[in-house]
Amino acid sequence: MVDTPPPVSIKQQSKGRFSGASFIWVIPLLALVVAFGVAWQSYSARGPLIIVSFEDGAGIAAGETKLKYRDIEVGDVEEVSFNEGLTSVEVHIRLKKDVAPYVDESSVFWIVQPEVTAQGISGLSTVLSGVYIEGSWDSEIGGEAETFRGSDVAPLIRPGLDGLQIAFRTTTNGTLTDNTPIVFRGIEVGKIGRAQIARSGAFAIVEGLIYDEHRHLVNSSTRFWDTSGFDVSIGPSGAEINFSSLATLVGGGITFDTFVSGGAPVLDGEVFDVFVDRETARNSLFTTSEVDPLQLSIIFDENVSGLTTGAPVELSGFRIGTVSSLSGIVDFDQFGDSRVRLNVMISIQPARLGLPEEVTADAALSLLQNRVANGLRARLASASLLTGGLKVELVEVPDAPPARLVSDGSALPVLPTTLSQTSDVEATVEGVFTRINNLPIEELLNSFINVMNSAEVLISNTDLQETPGEVRTLLNDLSGLVTSEDVQNIPVALNATLVRIEALVTELEQQRIAETLGRTLAAASDAADAVTSSVEGVPELVAEIQTVAARAASLEFDTLINELTALTSSAEELVSSPETAQLPTALAGALDQLNATLRELREGGAVQNVNQTLASARTAADSIAVSARDLPQVIERLNALFAQAGLTIEGYNQGDELSRAAQAALRDIQEAAGALEKLARTIERNPNSLLLGR
Amino acid sequence: MVGMEFSGTPQKTVTAREAGLVACTRCARAWPIGTEACGRCGARLVSRDVNSLQRVWALWLVGLMCYVPANTYPMLRTQQLFSVDESTIIGGAVELAHYGAFGIATIILVASVVIPLGKFWAIAFLALSVGKKGGFPSSRRLLMYEVVEYIGRWSMIDIFVVAILSALVQLQGLAAITPGPAAFFFALSVIFTMLSAQAFDPRMIWDAQATDEKARDHG
Repeated sequence: MVDTPPPVSIKQQSKGRFSGASFIWVIPLLALVVAFGVAWQSYSARGPLIIVSFEDGAGIAAGETKLKYRDIEVGDVEEVSFNEGLTSVEVHIRLKKDVAPYVDESSVFWIVQPEVTAQGISGLSTVLSGVYIEGSWDSEIGGEAETFRGSDVAPLIRPGLDGLQIAFRTTTNGTLTDNTPIVFRGIEVGKIGRAQIARSGAFAIVEGLIYDEHRHLVNSSTRFWDTSGFDVSIGPSGAEINFSSLATLVGGGITFDTFVSGGAPVLDGEVFDVFVDRETARNSLFTTSEVDPLQLSIIFDENVSGLTTGAPVELSGFRIGTVSSLSGIVDFDQFGDSRVRLNVMISIQPARLGLPEEVTADAALSLLQNRVANGLRARLASASLLTGGLKVELVEVPDAPPARLVSDGSALPVLPTTLSQTSDVEATVEGVFTRINNLPIEELLNSFINVMNSAEVLISNTDLQETPGEVRTLLNDLSGLVTSEDVQNIPVALNATLVRIEALVTELEQQRIAETLGRTLAAASDAADAVTSSVEGVPELVAEIQTVAARAASLEFDTLINELTALTSSAEELVSSPETAQLPTALAGALDQLNATLRELREGGAVQNVNQTLASARTAADSIAVSARDLPQVIERLNALFAQAGLTIEGYNQGDELSRAAQAALRDIQEAAGALEKLARTIERNPNSLLLGR
Repeated sequence: MVGMEFSGTPQKTVTAREAGLVACTRCARAWPIGTEACGRCGARLVSRDVNSLQRVWALWLVGLMCYVPANTYPMLRTQQLFSVDESTIIGGAVELAHYGAFGIATIILVASVVIPLGKFWAIAFLALSVGKKGGFPSSRRLLMYEVVEYIGRWSMIDIFVVAILSALVQLQGLAAITPGPAAFFFALSVIFTMLSAQAFDPRMIWDAQATDEKARDHG
């Protein structure tokens, strides 16, 4: 079954005005419109292209690196290329349209890189994200510019950044560390940029920025000084170490203070001096305004070590400047030889000269020229005897050879010199020291110590204290004995006896025994009687001499010395004994004792006594010596006599006793004589031994 | 699809139009020519869509327009810890090839470049050749049309990958993948080419053959 299609209404297709074209074309048209719209919009929103040239393109990549202004992206690097000659890198940056008008000729660009310095770490975000270019411009629409010169480091003073823009200049001997903070009471209130050496080379200059909120801290009487590192000062209050903070210790810094009130406000562009330290900065405020120093050159013939940079330059004891540099100079034409001379550059502060009118370097120079014509000369002088440091002194030399201080403009004026003072002083000091060195102080001290020890031992010995008296009495005895008439007459009596005995013996020999036996016997009896009577005194003499000899022998000085040694050792024991703790008091006591003893000695005329004793001892010794000289003859004669008498009077029993007694007496006399001789020699050899016991 | 086997020798065919009929394109019911709407499904009945080619060309043009930014703008925006990487389709493929992933690079190139461009070419070819006689056999053209229509949706595989990656890789701060503007344009391009392919009335292929035959019969 086939379904017949039902009748359907047939409508003719309506033909519109655009019957040929379909409505669908609206879509591509719309797409085109949108595309063109977007294209036009993006084109019109595109900013201008600027070219910034850098020394090197540190990490800049086309399409990646951004240009930032206040840390917001305001442009893209589209292309990186070289300029002609490849001397710099040109970075093409597409700016955003809204900031483009502000980018005028005053704009600055720099590359922000990670940086680690003593002040801290900056640009850390660029470590991972890569570098970017930072731009800075003011907030005023200026003329368009297309090419810029970028800097490698962030400029200190950026357009549009508020703050007090000042410059700093180093003073003499001052230093500057660049890119360091300006610190006020520990707070960073500003910053200095990269320092540069001024065109004249005399100082370094750097621009600085005091942040806007701190600009009121600075006025015309503000003084800046360098806090780089630390300074050590040794003064009457001891040693001091100063440094403001660890950051400035490492990286340096500048700080300031306004010591007096009433300064005028400071405008941009003012130049401040950076002083070496706070003291100098403060002092500079009270001296007359410091002006440019006068630079002079001095050429010294002698090269003396000890002069350093910064050493004072003094005019009649008043410091007027400092030594700014030292160097050697060889100038054959000028000096006639090729010796190296010391060339000292000094800088004199004209404000210190007390110039009456204008305080300038020129005025100071003319003053010095005048003075040099009158004999002002420079010389080296010792600044310190201890350190050997030198200074430069300007002194008036009365009859100096004429010289002038010439300034011909090109080189520094040269100040004439005179002989230095340094060598004399050094020589004198050296001589003094040498002589002090050569003094035998140690030996002197040792001797003195020995003397003191001996004296103490001697004096503290009671025996010894009695010794002088004993010795005196002994010597008195001795001298009394020796000088006694008996003793002195012994030889004479003996002589006479012997002469008579001799005469008797000769007579006996000459006469015949038989004939004159009776008389002989009688005479012999008489003679024997006489002999007996004459010899009667001998045993006494012998006994006396024996006692003398015994006493003399008992006067063994060795014993005395031994005693003294024992005493010394006991004294040593005493010294080493625990009572040594009381040594000071003991010493004081000993000294007191010594004093007292000495006083006693002096009062008692001990010295005179000793002297007298010694004198009498000497005379006694002399007498003994004289007597002793005679003794051998006496003994010989006695010997001879006894030899004869022994033969002659053999038969007499009585004679035995006599002869034995006489022999013993003679032996005693011999011993006594020997002892006396020994004593006399000892005394002769060393008379002091009697007193000193040695 | 059956026509594929006997393609090559054109046979004598009678189109519906010649038989005075119009077929519903939706339910395939044939109606007498001139019927405006399908009595069964209600679809509008047009024997030949006269505006078909215009629609094809218009949509083709939009698709092509969208294809340009799809290739110049970045497709993927890969954000790692601190670096942002933007890559276009071709750039990404080249990068992959650099890393040695030739397979993936080939897939991306085929899916994103070869197929869309082929589609543009195929649609343009069909649209241009529809009124022309001779040359390419009609059965081949029909095959081409079917392939284009079938493969069109697979071009969305790029967008699919981007969508999945964007959804998966969103680790706050560490890494993130976001679709770039190219993804949008690529999707538009794919959509418009698909629409363009659908706007093509394949029945016109046979008209040309019929006119051929007619000419042959009369001639």
